[in-house]
Amino acid sequence: MIEVKALSKRYGTFVAVRDLSFIVQPGEVLGLVGPNGAGKTTTLRCIAGIIPSSSGAARIAGHDIATDPIAAKRALAFFPDEPRLFDYLTVRQHLKFVSRIYGVANHEALAEPLLDELELLDKADQLPGELSRGMKQKLAIACGLLHRPSVMFFDEPLTGLDPLGIRRMKDSILKRARDGAAIVLSSHLLSLLQEVCSHVLILKRGEKIADGTLADVAARFSNGETNVSLEEVFIRATGGSEK
Amino acid sequence: MVRALLYLRLTSLKNSLLSRIRRLRQPKYLFGAIAGAAYVWFFFLRHLGGPGSRSGTRAIMPEMPPGFTDSLSDTSPLVIAFGSLALFVIVAITWLLPSQKPGLGFTEAETAFLFPAPVSRRMLINFKLLNSQFTILFTSFFFTLVSNRWSFMGGNGLSHAIGWWVILSTLNLHFTGAALTLTRLIERGGSTARRRTVITGVIALAVIGTLGWMWRSLPAPSPEQAAEVTALTHYLLAMLNTGAVGWLLWPFRIVLGPFAAADSTAFFFALGPALLLMGAHYFWVMRLQEVSFEEASLTAAEKRTAVLAQARAGQYRFGVEKPKARRSPFYLRDTGRPEFAFLWKNLLSTRSYFNGRTFAVIAAIIVVGSRWLPHSARVEMVTAGVCVFVAVCVMLYGPFMARQDIRSDLNHADILKTYPIAGSRLLLGELLTPVAILTAVLWLAILAWTLVLVPTRNVATWYTPTMHFVCALCAAATAVPLIGLQLLVLNGATLLFPGWFQSGRSPGGIEMMGQRLIFFFGSIVVIFAALIPSVMAGASVLLASYGFSTIVHYFREADAQALSPWALLAAGLSALAILTMEVWCGIWWLGRRFENFDLSAELRP
Repeated sequence: MIEVKALSKRYGTFVAVRDLSFIVQPGEVLGLVGPNGAGKTTTLRCIAGIIPSSSGAARIAGHDIATDPIAAKRALAFFPDEPRLFDYLTVRQHLKFVSRIYGVANHEALAEPLLDELELLDKADQLPGELSRGMKQKLAIACGLLHRPSVMFFDEPLTGLDPLGIRRMKDSILKRARDGAAIVLSSHLLSLLQEVCSHVLILKRGEKIADGTLADVAARFSNGETNVSLEEVFIRATGGSEK
Repeated sequence: MVRALLYLRLTSLKNSLLSRIRRLRQPKYLFGAIAGAAYVWFFFLRHLGGPGSRSGTRAIMPEMPPGFTDSLSDTSPLVIAFGSLALFVIVAITWLLPSQKPGLGFTEAETAFLFPAPVSRRMLINFKLLNSQFTILFTSFFFTLVSNRWSFMGGNGLSHAIGWWVILSTLNLHFTGAALTLTRLIERGGSTARRRTVITGVIALAVIGTLGWMWRSLPAPSPEQAAEVTALTHYLLAMLNTGAVGWLLWPFRIVLGPFAAADSTAFFFALGPALLLMGAHYFWVMRLQEVSFEEASLTAAEKRTAVLAQARAGQYRFGVEKPKARRSPFYLRDTGRPEFAFLWKNLLSTRSYFNGRTFAVIAAIIVVGSRWLPHSARVEMVTAGVCVFVAVCVMLYGPFMARQDIRSDLNHADILKTYPIAGSRLLLGELLTPVAILTAVLWLAILAWTLVLVPTRNVATWYTPTMHFVCALCAAATAVPLIGLQLLVLNGATLLFPGWFQSGRSPGGIEMMGQRLIFFFGSIVVIFAALIPSVMAGASVLLASYGFSTIVHYFREADAQALSPWALLAAGLSALAILTMEVWCGIWWLGRRFENFDLSAELRP
């Protein structure tokens, strides 16, 4: 479970995220949406413990990310928009390295099915430089899933993927959610939210505009109209501009 | 086209200058600019005023005898001879090396805007040549600042500037022509091996022809003659200026003529042929306009952009083309201390010969070799010199060069921070690889020093074999924390001032140069400051031991022993303890810093 309470992040006088609170239960997928510069990535990085928040708290699987970061990080996986891989480690060596960091005993028994699921088995001895963008993304996902996290953060997960890769990524997210993971993903792609997310949170200039299930949020901005698209809801919620 | 190019370059220059001036509001750029400007002023601009003034040279070389610079005034032919040889080597490499179509050096933006534009190839080549002139003019100015200090050269600032411009422009035209010619040759299926054979054959023929001529007509100088500068100079000049090599180097001597001209008359006489040669080059390049260079230029532009991006990310290593998959350096169990996972990972990113087997083989060679070497004073002196040289290089440059630590992983900081391990353990893990490599090299030097140098009573009465062994033991033991401390300071500087470290990767700019200077000297100062406590502790133990020994011997009415192995061991151990404590505290403190490290905040403009 993910619990975020009154989270704020400031850079000098600039407030990137202001007083943000939300809860994601196991099995739920929360979509973070908002215009450019709304604070989506900053929010994800704060609750994943990558950058310290200025105030507020975030609990991952019951552990406070600020006061008990190691226990919290054992339960989470963070997937950045651009896969960050080590140039000199092969696919298999990446998994070996990650297993030691997370203390995953007998990692090969877990790694093989994971590589098979992500269609990386035949690339297992290749370096990231020899992989396509989609394959790199899959390797980053394999590394994140190896320790069976109960909380996952995806930052723009579909960036650079081809249609087949997009389909597989969506399926993978849904499968993890069905298995009981609490997932937060940020994306500009409203169609992704419609297909994958059970909940949505709209951010604008670091502040929460709306949150709830897709139906709740749509109802709030539909002004009584029926069949209002998510795109229209988003435009109405954000006022149609970044400012 | 020319107007478009001028607009592009001048607008880019103006915007670049404005943005650099604006960012001087940030202290890191302001201090960097001040340090960079001070460096440029002190080392270059201060000495401006023409070679005639030479005040700067005197300031730099006050110990030179008065007649020394005058005796060098006749060196112009020598400069031309060796300069032309250097240019020949550059040009030969240009023709020998490429195995793929080289294309022309356009940037990715230029290829994106110009290649689809309604512009002829002739115009594209002219654009490229004209574009290069901006860089050539700046480089000529910079080189003139340097060469203007060479008092033995004739001419003045202007002749040097024009001379450099002629050299660089002709080389640029030659590179362009060579690139187009090679692109055409390869496109037509020309074999790289055949080309290399032909070029190497021509060079070999010229060298053999010259050697034959020398054997017949130019007797080698006797050892006495070789010791005289003038005789040796004449011999070398004769070798390079006559025969087949002389003919081979003739065009290069023409290019160098204006730069090496001693006075105005010589300069004007040299300028004409050099300009003619340059014009011939331009004519040659224009004749090659039908060569389809676009595809190769696109590939080259992509490669250059990738290398630039790698350099900015701190990942580019000169001479290493592409990473290769390698076997694990050691077996890494699934569970255990995570620090060793970083050692394992970072060892994979080093060169393949940095492994235990290589070090063991070298150690074995040293052990066996030390048995075979004759124990003469000369051998010992040479060995000691080599060992000290290696040790000094490792200590001074090693930590700056071995960067398989947080410095090369800074762009992975996001991912590293999601790992469930304390910052101090992560930092320790990151430091292990460079510490292991540098310590191993240092230990080899200490091993060679210990085995080859045999202490004799002629050097110092107190320097016994036991003392020799204890010295080596202390040096080997303190090497580990000493290298760790240096690496910790450099990694600490990266974590405490990531903005400085990151912007230092950006190319060019006086403020970047200043930032690098401040970063470098700041790190050196901190390293020396950190060494003071351990040095003081070691010295205190030695002094106390000597004092105690003096008192004891005073009461026994015997001579005090200057230094005992036990005292040295105690001093070494106390220095080791303090160094280790410092490193441990530093790792703990920097680990905390890493846990609260916010790269996004540090790098916000």
